[in-house]
Amino acid sequence: MAMRLIEIDHACVAYGAPPRPVLDRIDLEIEEGEFVCVLGQTGCGKSTLLRLLLGSEHPVHGQVRIDGQEHHQPDRTRGYVPQKYSLFPDKTVLDNITFGPEVSEFSLWGRLTPGFYRRRRELRVEALEYLRRIGLREADGRKYPDQLSGGMQQRVALAQALMTKPRILLMDEAFSALDPGTRKEMQKLIRVLWQSTGTTVLFVTHNTHEALRLGTRVIVLAKESPEHGSRVVLDLRVPDPCREEEIPHLVRRLESASENTEAAPVATAR
Amino acid sequence: MSAGFLLIHAKPNRTWTAVLSWSLFVLGIGLYLYVAHSRHRDNPEERVTPTVAQMVRGMYDAALKPAEDDEQQVQGGSVAQRFFGSMLWKDTKATSRRFIYSMLLLIPAVLLGLHMGLFPYVGVLFTRFILFFDKIVALSMLPILFIVFGIDELAKIMLIVVGVAPTIILDAVNLTRAVPGEQVVKAFTLGAGDFDVAYRVVLKQIMPRILNSIRLNLKAVMCFLFAGEMIASTDGLAYRIALLRRHMGMDVIIPYVLWVALLLFLVDWSMRFVNRKLHPWFRES
Repeated sequence: MAMRLIEIDHACVAYGAPPRPVLDRIDLEIEEGEFVCVLGQTGCGKSTLLRLLLGSEHPVHGQVRIDGQEHHQPDRTRGYVPQKYSLFPDKTVLDNITFGPEVSEFSLWGRLTPGFYRRRRELRVEALEYLRRIGLREADGRKYPDQLSGGMQQRVALAQALMTKPRILLMDEAFSALDPGTRKEMQKLIRVLWQSTGTTVLFVTHNTHEALRLGTRVIVLAKESPEHGSRVVLDLRVPDPCREEEIPHLVRRLESASENTEAAPVATAR
Repeated sequence: MSAGFLLIHAKPNRTWTAVLSWSLFVLGIGLYLYVAHSRHRDNPEERVTPTVAQMVRGMYDAALKPAEDDEQQVQGGSVAQRFFGSMLWKDTKATSRRFIYSMLLLIPAVLLGLHMGLFPYVGVLFTRFILFFDKIVALSMLPILFIVFGIDELAKIMLIVVGVAPTIILDAVNLTRAVPGEQVVKAFTLGAGDFDVAYRVVLKQIMPRILNSIRLNLKAVMCFLFAGEMIASTDGLAYRIALLRRHMGMDVIIPYVLWVALLLFLVDWSMRFVNRKLHPWFRES
C-alpha cells in the first residue's frame, strides 16, 4: 500500500493587513509516488500552495506535514523547479548539477580537503550521466546557463533537483515559458524521470491539457468569491495512461471547475 | 554621414566614432597651446599656462630628481635608480599605500551589506544607522577624524572609509536583495545552509556588480584621499600638488594631475580586466 507522504489539514494562508485570504481551509493528502498536477486560474494561489509545501510560506491556520513532520523552511527533502531563475548564473551546467551534493557534503572549509576533489570527480561522472539522460551533450556541461536555450535550462534545472534525490519534486509552472515543441519534449522527459525515480511530483500549471497528459491526479483550486481564499474544488484521479478520447471530456470538467466561482463541495472523481 | 545625423536612430560608422570621440581632446589641447603661446608672447615670465617644454622639464625633474626634502640622497645612478628615488615615485608610493589600505577596508563593508541584505535581524540592526551615516558629509567629519585618530595615516584612511563605505554597504544590500528569491529557496532545497546561501550563492552572484560599484566609486575614493593629503600630510601626490600651488608650480601640477588621471585609468582598467577574468559568466545588461 502506498504511504501517505504529504498531509495538508485545513491550511489557510492570508496576506496583508487587514489579512486577505489566498488559500482557505485546504485539505489534501498525497501518497508517495503520485504525480499531482495543480490547476487553477491566475492568482488562485497555486504557487502559494507550492510554497506552503516548500516551507517558505506558513499557514495562519491549519497544518502542513511531510512524512508526518512539519517543516518550517525549505530543505533537501523537497526539490524545486521554478519557472524562472532556476539555475545559478555564476556556475557552469555541471557545477549547477553537482551543487546540491557538494554543498550538503562539504562545508566552505571542507572544500579545501583532498577528499572534496575525489568526491567531486565522482559527482561529475554522475552529473554527466544525468546530462545524457536529459538529452544534453558533455560539451554543454561546460556552458553557463545564459548560453543555453530556455528548454535546455529547464532540463538542467530538473537534473539539478533530481541529483539530490528528493522525495518530493515541486515544479512551479516550470514549462510555461517554453515554446510548444520544447514543452512537449519536457513533458515526456519529466514523465520518464518520474517513472524511473519514483519521486512524488507536485506540478503547478494553468494548462489543462498538460495537467491531464502528465498527472495521475489533478486538483483544481478556485475561489468562491473575491473576498474568499481558494479551495480545492475538484480532485480528479486520471487514468494512467489517459485515453485520447477521454481527454476532451476531462478538459471540459476541469475547466468548468476552474471557472466555477460558486461555493461548491469538493468533487472527488476516480 | 547618413541622413538624420543627430537623430536617435543614427548609426555613426567607425571613422566618425573615432573622429568625434577624439575631437574634444584635440580641441582642448589646441586651445591650451594657443592660450599658452599667446600669454607667453605677452609675458615671457608667465606661470599660469606653462608651455609643453616647461611641463616636460618639470615632469623630468619630478620623475628623476629627489624631492627637495630628500636632497641629501644620492643623485647619480641609473635612470631606474633615479626614478625610484624621485619625488614622483615617493608621492605615488605614499598615495598608493593609502589607496590600497582603503580598498582593503571596503571588504568588510561588502560583507556587512551582504549580511544586511540576507539576514533580517542584521538588516534591522544596521540599515537605519547606515542610512543616517550615508547622509553625513564625510569632509565635514575631517576635523573630528583628525582629533580622534590624529593626523597620521589612520585619519586619512578613515576619511575614505567614512566617505565611501556607506555607499558600498547600501549598494551591496540592494544587490543582495535583487538576487531572485527563487535562487535562495532553490539553494536551500539542494541542501545549502544559511552561510552556504550567503557565500556560495549570493556573494558569488553579486561580486561582479560589487566590483563595478567600487570601480565607479574610485573617483570618490581619490577625492577623499586627496582632501586628507592636502590638509595633513608630508608626502603623497595631493600633498605635492598643494605644496606646488604655493609656488605657482603649474609646470609640475598639470603633469601631476594627468599622472593621477592615468593611474586611476589603469586601476579602473585592471579592475575591469580582473572582473572579466574572475566572472566570465557576467555580462552587464
